[in-house]
Amino acid sequence: MLSTIQPSRCLSRFPAHLRTSGRTKARSLHVFSSAQPVTTVPHQSQILSIRDSLVSRHLSAVQVADSYLGRLKQTEPQIGSFLHLSEPDKVLKQAQEIDDKIKRNEEVGPLAGVLVAVKDNICTADMPSTGGSHILDGYRPPFDATAVKRLKDLGAIVVGKTNLDEFGMGSSTEASAFKVTANPWDLSRVPGGSSGGSAAAVSARQCVVSLGSDTGGSVRQPASFCGVVGLKPTYGRVSRFGLMAYASSLDVIGCFGSSVADTGILLHAISGHDALDATSSKREVPDFTSQFLSASSLKSRPLEGLRVGLICETVDGGVDSGVKSAIQGAAAHLEQLGSIVTEVSLPSFSLGLPAYYILASSESSSNLSRYDGVRYGNQASCDELNALYEDSRAKGFGSEVKMRILMGTYALSAGYYDAYYKRAQQVRTIIQKSFKTALGENDILISPAAPSAAYKIGEKRNDPLAMYAGDIMTVNVNLAGLPALVLPCGFVEGGFVGLPVGLQMIGAAFDEEKLLKVGHIFEQTLQGYNFVPPLIQDGAFA
Amino acid sequence: MGSRALLVLTNFKFKSSSAYSSSKPFYLIKSSPTIRKFSTKTRSSLQPPDVPRLAETARISLAPNEVEEFAPKIRQVIDWFGQLQAVDLDSVEPAIRADTEGDNLREDVPETFENKEALIAYVPSYEEPYIKVPKVLNKE
Repeated sequence: MLSTIQPSRCLSRFPAHLRTSGRTKARSLHVFSSAQPVTTVPHQSQILSIRDSLVSRHLSAVQVADSYLGRLKQTEPQIGSFLHLSEPDKVLKQAQEIDDKIKRNEEVGPLAGVLVAVKDNICTADMPSTGGSHILDGYRPPFDATAVKRLKDLGAIVVGKTNLDEFGMGSSTEASAFKVTANPWDLSRVPGGSSGGSAAAVSARQCVVSLGSDTGGSVRQPASFCGVVGLKPTYGRVSRFGLMAYASSLDVIGCFGSSVADTGILLHAISGHDALDATSSKREVPDFTSQFLSASSLKSRPLEGLRVGLICETVDGGVDSGVKSAIQGAAAHLEQLGSIVTEVSLPSFSLGLPAYYILASSESSSNLSRYDGVRYGNQASCDELNALYEDSRAKGFGSEVKMRILMGTYALSAGYYDAYYKRAQQVRTIIQKSFKTALGENDILISPAAPSAAYKIGEKRNDPLAMYAGDIMTVNVNLAGLPALVLPCGFVEGGFVGLPVGLQMIGAAFDEEKLLKVGHIFEQTLQGYNFVPPLIQDGAFA
Repeated sequence: MGSRALLVLTNFKFKSSSAYSSSKPFYLIKSSPTIRKFSTKTRSSLQPPDVPRLAETARISLAPNEVEEFAPKIRQVIDWFGQLQAVDLDSVEPAIRADTEGDNLREDVPETFENKEALIAYVPSYEEPYIKVPKVLNKE
């Protein structure tokens, strides 16, 4: 049974001066062996474990890569997280280069040997980037997104591009032009969306960490559905250069990991100002990674005095009772850790959803006008220019994308702008103000990440409003541009052993440090839950 | 003309209605008949979406069965958007984006992208130095 007893070593300060503990806990080695199931040693930072193992020569990067590739090969036919996979030989070659450097006592980056998956709407120069759309089928960008470049510079190995709802428009990954990804906890259910592939890949331990994007919850909701940690940074924290734009005022690149520490380390690697993104912040990036203490070194009430506000509009009618219980359980756990949990009301909370969809469809109708078949992407054969545009786009875009472009076109039409887009922007102001007030009185706010756990594939496909309704917990955070962390906190009935439920923690702008600190402590002290899907655990695919 | 008429209608203010009181988010979505009824009243001057015309504006050709499939769904969502008409938003400044950061513009100096060949390689129809497109027919 799961034990939260942590190894005696601290998860040390990173990246400088990583202390090797001398003896890596034997059980953690199972993570790297494809012959044995992943054990339930909880919440250790895989990134730091890998680093320790490499630096102490306990394991080679090739062994680490081999183990993940083995698991990927076994689970991918069932799950389908990836649209493109790096050639295994190429991955092993990169791993070998890291091993060679270590042998020569050369410096390797802090993410050396860490296998990363990247959502397919984030540009990678050496791999296709389709945005999940036929219109970019076969397209290879001539540049890496800044976030990808930073990961590669630190030694990470990109193992593949993950499946998504086309151009980020969707909440289940069913709107991908290419395939549907299954939830590792129950293959008949959705992994969430739009970053479903990235969440499933980490959940199934096909890679160590992954990048996604979050415009209205597209990292947080799949994190909740797949039982992994998902982080949406503050708008402006991470460069959007190379992220295919969906709604420019809302999009951010986000991180997935199997632990809060891994997610924080990944965030640190990709954060910071970028001259290529005028909306990226020049603020200094604190070292998010310096606070991941092991549970054994925590005092008895480590969150003493932390003011936590539970958003009451998110635990009201319409929310699954199992989800409500899980969140209430999480609130109780936070109280045991010393926090003061009170209910907080956010005025106009429910207005955020229509406001979001107006803004997102409007901005997307503008952003997607670049896909015209002229300079890149798939071109229909026509002998007249307008027909070329119309046919290329008709053939290249899926139904959901077409509908959103049409809705956005309507909302931005002359005479309608004031009624829709402008009003939505005014609602955005109200929501920003209400969060600011609430975060003045509370350190963090908490809520579910979604009103239910993962639903069945096909269940909401034909009902747009039912699909949109599932975003109620997440969109307001994008409107306000705030950071939010989702981490697994419990289960509801369903699937084989239950379906995971994530707790969303929302912080003040640029306060990812506090979220990570609280999230890490919450995770390290949570007892009695195993968030590794049975697919991986029972060795059925060993 | 449309927005002027709307200004008159929004004098009909809803201060404490469940339209934006925060207690029941899902009530709002499920009770669509109520919303539709109300918003049709305030939006009497707004034409409902004309899907074929929107498709032309957005440069996407739609098959007749697509128009038939999309029109009701689009109408349903636009109706749902209409609930914002009920909200008293006088004297609220519109926010262009999250107010997390100020302006961060760089010098207006052109820079050359280092891999132009790769960009050009993806142009479907290229005749150096032109990107080739078919003729343009003037619409009325």
